[in-house]
Amino acid sequence: MGWGFRNLLRHPLRTALSLAGIAVAAAMLLDMVMLSGGIERSFARLLLSRGYQIRVTPAGTLPFDAEATLPNASRIRDRLRADPGVAAAGAILGANVHARRGDSLLTLFAYGIEPDAQGIYEVESGRDLHRGEADGLLLSGAAALALGARVGDTIRLTGRLDPQLAGSGADRTLVTRGIVRWLYDYRGQRSVGLALGTLQEMTGRAAGDRVSLFMVKARDGVDPAALAAALRRQFPGAAVNSIADLVAAFRVRMLYFRQLSYILGTVSLLVTVLLVATLLTITVNERLGEIVTLRAIGVSRLHVVAQLVAEGAALTILGAAGGVALGLATARYLDAILTSFPGLPAAFSFFVPRADAIALAGAVLICTGTLAGLYPAWRASRLPIAATLRAEAT
Amino acid sequence: MSVLVARDVTRDYPMNGEIVHALRGVSLSVSPGEYVAIAGPSGSGKSTLLQVIGGIDVPSSGSVELLGTRLDTLDDRALTRLRLLRLGFVFQRFHLLPVLTALENVELPMAEAGVPRGERRERARSLLDYVGLGTRGSHRPTQLSGGEMQRVAIARALANRPAIVLADEPTGELDTATGADILALFRRLNLDGTTLIVVTHDDRLAAEAGRVVHMFDGRVRS
Repeated sequence: MGWGFRNLLRHPLRTALSLAGIAVAAAMLLDMVMLSGGIERSFARLLLSRGYQIRVTPAGTLPFDAEATLPNASRIRDRLRADPGVAAAGAILGANVHARRGDSLLTLFAYGIEPDAQGIYEVESGRDLHRGEADGLLLSGAAALALGARVGDTIRLTGRLDPQLAGSGADRTLVTRGIVRWLYDYRGQRSVGLALGTLQEMTGRAAGDRVSLFMVKARDGVDPAALAAALRRQFPGAAVNSIADLVAAFRVRMLYFRQLSYILGTVSLLVTVLLVATLLTITVNERLGEIVTLRAIGVSRLHVVAQLVAEGAALTILGAAGGVALGLATARYLDAILTSFPGLPAAFSFFVPRADAIALAGAVLICTGTLAGLYPAWRASRLPIAATLRAEAT
Repeated sequence: MSVLVARDVTRDYPMNGEIVHALRGVSLSVSPGEYVAIAGPSGSGKSTLLQVIGGIDVPSSGSVELLGTRLDTLDDRALTRLRLLRLGFVFQRFHLLPVLTALENVELPMAEAGVPRGERRERARSLLDYVGLGTRGSHRPTQLSGGEMQRVAIARALANRPAIVLADEPTGELDTATGADILALFRRLNLDGTTLIVVTHDDRLAAEAGRVVHMFDGRVRS
């Protein structure tokens, strides 16, 4: 007859407060589940966003360290492209450049790219650079805004500032060809992209043919880990890492995040257990007369337990449903705060909502809440009928 | 043949660190269709006797045979089933489920007994008609008066067509006029063939019964 479930409506305020408590605990649990695996997944997804599974960088560095460079880039690139396991390989150079806007000098981060093999941007408007297009320029939205530039506009960039002359050297005038989204930029980063050779010349890295890293895409059917191992042997002076290697290194660094999420997730489960158990204990104590009367008129222990457990389960399910909405909203809010930290790619997420994470958090919570109702329910079903009726009568 | 036979029943229980001898060797026999009132002052053991013969308390010694079955041979499950199907209970404080309507409260024992939904609804309606609450089926207990609640409790007690109805101070919470309605209802019930055992210290209720068992200090006096 569902009297257990309907009992929740008996004290609407108490039920609402309990639901709010469970929803907060559920939201916390969900956020912690998303956080525990989300950072790693987001990192891997980000690194793989254009399908380049291997990074070749100067030894001892991880992408993207603009100060450390690899020499003889053309030779390395040719060797990489000659490898039968490699589908595509492109070099990237990172450096600061400068542009004038009125009386101000803006510092911009510049990517030297090979547009036919790049894994770091997506064109949003305009067009990509053509291969060998030495005077073309790509701007991030923030750079375009700061420069007041649109597609087709001409921008003068300075590669090196000479503090002694209070002037600049290695200036180039470039034509804006497209507005792009740089995948590894932090929020609001003013970035520009230009042909690798042009940037090398502007920043004095043409001598030695230096670049910051190579991105390598394995051919279909080639195991990226095996290819990375082979490349490691070919280029002993460089660091060759597959995405799996980078994620593993990242996992070690993020260990404390996972530990924190486990602890907070456990706390939220305990809070749920305490809330449900407390509420059911209170409600059982208030209804001793009712419960023993049911037993007296022939309602089985099992039925009493089932109704009270259903009451706890209903409370947990409703609280969990509210918790999912709350958890997703708080995750989004927290993500917006955390990813606004300087130096962190804007495309990176700490909380990755996944159906399996939501289902896992929901299932764990509902099981926990249901089990939390078992003890008060069991206790209620074992009440001595006559003694309880006697106590109720006095 | 008796529907109830209690032989030399004692019941002791601890209270505030002392042993209370609630029943001191009570024997009682009730025939089918009888209307028995158990009367006596507070603390005389009459409610304890009702609980023991209703299988919701266990005697310290002696035996109770209900409808030919010795209660001490039954486990909790069988005893619960016996209470559900063969006994009807009416309590002083009604103890209806406030979240269910009057109709649903009457249906509850039938649902527990596995009576199909349509059948139990129809029977619950006719029982509410029987106790004079045919139009109040959709009301919740909080929307009913004390007398109405007790009548719903009586309808609930009759739900599974019990062999015996046991009532513990059924007029104890009611005013005189409402109590009189309940007396009339019990009289009608008995006339319709229900065996009634009623614990009371209401003289009017006791006077309605075919036999009055007087108790004092845990013993039957007459």
